[in-house]
Parts: sequence; structure tokens; C-alpha cells
Amino acid sequence: MRALLTWLKFAWHNTLRNRRRSLVTVSIVALGAAGMLLAGGFALYTYESLAEASARDSGHLVLGTPAQFDRDEDVPLQHGLSGVQQLRATLLADPAVRHVLPRVAFTGLISNGDKSTVMLAAGVDPDGEFTVKGPFLTVTAGKTLAADAAQPQVMLGADLARNLKARPGDSLTLLASTTEGAMNAVDVVVAGLFTTGVPEVDKRMVYTSIATAQQLLVTDKVSTLGVFLDRMEATEPARQRLAAQLPQLAVQTWEEQAAFYRAVRNLYNRIFGALGLIIAVIVVSVVANAMAMAIIERTREIGALRALGTLPSQLLCTLGLEGALLGGAGALLGAALALAISALLHVFPMDMPPPPGRSVGYPLLVTVDASMYAVVMSLMLLLTLTASLLVARKTVRLPVVDALAHT
Amino acid sequence: MSPQNGPVLRLAGVHKHYQLGAHRIDALRGVDLDVQAGELLALTGPSGSGKSTLLNLCGLIDTPDAGDIELNGQPVNALDETARTLLRRDALGFVFQNFNLIPVMTVAENVDYPLFLADVPPAERRARVAAQLAAVGLAEHAHHRPDALSGGQRQRVAIARALIKRPSLVIADEPTASLDSHTAEQVLALMRERGRAEGAAFVIATHDNRLTARCDRVVNLLDGRIQCAPC
Repeated sequence: MRALLTWLKFAWHNTLRNRRRSLVTVSIVALGAAGMLLAGGFALYTYESLAEASARDSGHLVLGTPAQFDRDEDVPLQHGLSGVQQLRATLLADPAVRHVLPRVAFTGLISNGDKSTVMLAAGVDPDGEFTVKGPFLTVTAGKTLAADAAQPQVMLGADLARNLKARPGDSLTLLASTTEGAMNAVDVVVAGLFTTGVPEVDKRMVYTSIATAQQLLVTDKVSTLGVFLDRMEATEPARQRLAAQLPQLAVQTWEEQAAFYRAVRNLYNRIFGALGLIIAVIVVSVVANAMAMAIIERTREIGALRALGTLPSQLLCTLGLEGALLGGAGALLGAALALAISALLHVFPMDMPPPPGRSVGYPLLVTVDASMYAVVMSLMLLLTLTASLLVARKTVRLPVVDALAHT
Repeated sequence: MSPQNGPVLRLAGVHKHYQLGAHRIDALRGVDLDVQAGELLALTGPSGSGKSTLLNLCGLIDTPDAGDIELNGQPVNALDETARTLLRRDALGFVFQNFNLIPVMTVAENVDYPLFLADVPPAERRARVAAQLAAVGLAEHAHHRPDALSGGQRQRVAIARALIKRPSLVIADEPTASLDSHTAEQVLALMRERGRAEGAAFVIATHDNRLTARCDRVVNLLDGRIQCAPC
């Protein structure tokens, strides 16, 4: 240990020999580390936000009949669930389960009397649904559905409402095929308008109560049950418990339901993975170049050290430490820079422009994740150590006579 | 480190050649040489006579093409690079023409370095470094960097570094070549005095007649062969 400290001190003094070069090397490593941490933090924030939005939309777990997930329906709710109250009671007995919300998904027409258009509708529990959605559903006019409303109510996507020239309080008619294949209609009142931030969804989406949906489809079944847990991390254990408890049902996680989340994650992983690789290559090149210059300048000194009885492994140790010191200093500086920028983005919020297919932007925030910081800083240390060892290896094995004769 | 009997260093029938493109240069052609314990041996000869080659072989930093080399009675030809390095660390000291002190280390750290390599306990290292620096008259410069010293002082540091581990043999390559006449005299006197005190033999490659006059023996090399020994 004492010997290592001596080599470390030697390495430290050597890094200070050419301060400008060391400063440039440390700065490049710091910028590389900060770049990785900020890009990674932004990706993590995006994943976390999308994951939460997805889980709040579908539920952490979604229960249905197996056919509901892998077959098409000939008539509405052909593969629907019955006995929902008993199932809810069973599910709510699980310690991780906070809410169980039934959903009826159906399609049909919505009409203002003069004009009809296609709708994608969801029958939901008015009390629970809008509580769990929280900030991920923006009501732009009116109110959310009321459980005790005197008349059947709907909430319309903002673009659909514009299409139908509907405002809160207006009357509309829903038309759909019943579970028997006959046409049925229900008059409803517009309770409110909402936007999801996805124009394609806002043009078609309609929320109504479970009771109204079942009245329209003439059924007591629901499509699925959304199970909301106390935390995201409980998803997989809860899925295993519920699948064992209810073997006749299929249990899917929010991630299996969230195609958009998976697509974004795949895309970002590739983009930021490539960015990380480019940064790593730049860091290795810069450190290797700086160390190569430092080592070539000291070839004769290395020859003298070898003549005095220093083993190549001992020289590799101190030269590796020299690179690692530069890398370590750069990593620390980079981490501090990334932390400062992450904090500044919280204090002075900035918005990202809307992504393709969306109508609203989202906040530019960067997650500060301790394990990511540990990985990136270790990676920087490892990269600089490796770069130093690679360039030092040849010189420390040079014949002592040749090293001493180096000019 | 020296054995009870016999020379510290023995070279028998040593040959060494270099290839420079298509040209073969025979640097040493059958050199036989014994260096006795405590002896101050000067190696002289014109440029290209093979002095540096012979010095490199004596210092175990190069290997012969043919012939045998023994250090303290131990044959060194068959040793691998690690074993040769460890033998240099334990039994040899070096004084270079250009000092080759480590610029980022203080004077005391430079002198201490061989003891650090040999894993001598820190308390003993401190005592020996202080004594050695006092002996070469540099106690007050212990915490200075080499670039703060004159050429003569730097060479005194190099001598202290070479002798600190009490080697049986010190290899000195033109130790006075970078020094003025007065300083060269002082360094020579110091090498002789400290060598005697530490019981180390010196092999000194030099062109300096003042130095050869103070040595126990002078070996003259010409075209890779020893001309006369002893003179």
C-alpha cells in the first residue's frame, strides 16, 4: 500500500510536468463524462416519464382472457371478462394493489345530428380513472366524467370535439354494434374535452363511463381490468403472484402494452449508445495521444529508471496511474458539470419541442442516477487507464540501452 | 554484495556486434576483464572503440553475442530480463554523463529511489538517505528539485543515488564530461572517497586524463579489444 502511494505520488508529479497538456486532457475527459451523463440522464428521464405515463394509462398490470390479447373479436367483447366484482375483490386483496379499474374498449360512430364520425371509445370508472391518470391527461375544457351524473356523459378528444363542433354541455349520440351484432345508440352529454398530446388520438378518442358503454353494447362484460400498484418496481413480482393466483386469465405488464415506450427506448438506446461509443473513442484517443507525448518525452528517463532496477510492471503501474489520475480528475469534473447542468434545468425549466406525432413538447429534464454516475466515472477511469497502459507498454519494454540513447 | 573471494565482475571472451543496415560493426572482439572489489577502473579509448558497449555489458543493460559475464560469481548470460533487472537493482549503481536524475523528485527522493525499489523499511531509508546526502555535502538541498542544483551538485546526487544501496559495482559513463574542471576534480574525489567508504568497485568510461590518473587501473580499448591492462 505504501509502495502504491509512492507510485501514485510519482504519477501525480508527472501529470503536473506539462500542465497545459494535462489540463486539455482533463477537460476533454470532463466534457466526455458530462456529455455521457447528461445524455444518459435525459434518456433515463424520458424512459421514466414514458413508463409512468404508460403505467397510468393501462395500469401496471392488465388482466384479461388470453384470447383478449392474442385474437381479434368478431363482435364487441367477444373475449371480454365477466364476474368483474368478484375479480376486483380478489385483486384488491393483494398488498401491492392500490386500484383495479375495469375498461371497455369499443369502436363506433359519434354524431352531433348533422355529422357522424368514427370514434375509438373507452368505458372507464369515472372515480378511479382520472385519479390515476393524474397529469398525463390534460382537460382543456369542462370537467372529467362524474360517477353520479343524471345523464350518460362523454369526454371528447379536443380535435374530435372541434370536428363535431361540440363543447361541454352539448348533446351527442353514440352508435355501436352490440355484443349480439345489432346496432344500438345512446344519447350523451359532453362533460369535458381533453388532449393526450397525440393528435391522432385526440381526433378519435372518447371516454365514457363503464355503465354507459355496457348499456350501449348491451353487456355486463368488460374488456380488461387495469391493476394499479403502489410502485413500478412491484410490477414483476405482482405479475407472477397474480398469474399464479388466476391461471385462467392472462396477465400482461404495462411494458407489454406500451409499444410507444418500447419503440422510444429502442431508438434512444441506439442513439445514446452510439453517442457514448463516439465519446469513448474520443477520450481514449485524446488520453492515448497525451500519454504518448508524455512517455516519448521521458523515454531516456524511463531507460534510467529501468537501469536502476525498476521493473517494466512497476513503470506500467505508475504510467497507468498517471492516465487514471487524468481520467479520474476529468470524470470528477465531468460529474460536477453534469450535476450543475441538471440542477440548472430544474431551476430554469426548458421545454423540448414536440416529438414527431405529438402536439405538445415536454420538459427538458435530466435524471441524476447514482449508479449511472458510478458507471460513467468508472468507465472514464478504465478508458484512461487502458489508453495509458496501451501506449506505455511498448516504451517500458524497450531495451534499456535504446531507451537511454533516445534523444 | 561481493563474494568473499574472486572478482566482483568477470568478463571472459566477450563479443558483441551491431548491424547497421548492411554493415556489421564488431564493437567487442573477445574481451577478458576482471574487476576486483573496491577497485576504481578507468575504461579509456577513442570514440567507437567499444567503451560504451563494454560499459553496457558490465551494467547488465545489454547482452553479449558470445562469452561469459559473471557478477559476484553469478553467471548472468542466461538470466531473463526480470532477473537481470533485479540484479541491477540489488548489486549495481549507475552514474550517467547527463545525471539522469528524476526531475519531479526532490534530491532526497532521487537518492531514496533505489532503497524504495529494494523495499527497505522507511525508517532505515530516511536515515541512510540523510547520511548519504551529508556525505556528499548536499544535506541542505535534500528538498530541492534537481533543476535547482548546479551540474556538480547534480552529479553528487547521482553518486549518492548510485551508492545508497551499497552496490558491489558502480557503472559510470563519462561522469565528468558535463562538468567544469574544478567541479570534475571534486566529483572524482568524491567518487573515490565514497566508493572506498561503501566498498564499491567503479568501472568508469572516460576521456578525462585527470580522472584516469586517480584510478587504480586503466584499461584502454581499441577496435573492440583491450590494449593494455593494467597500465
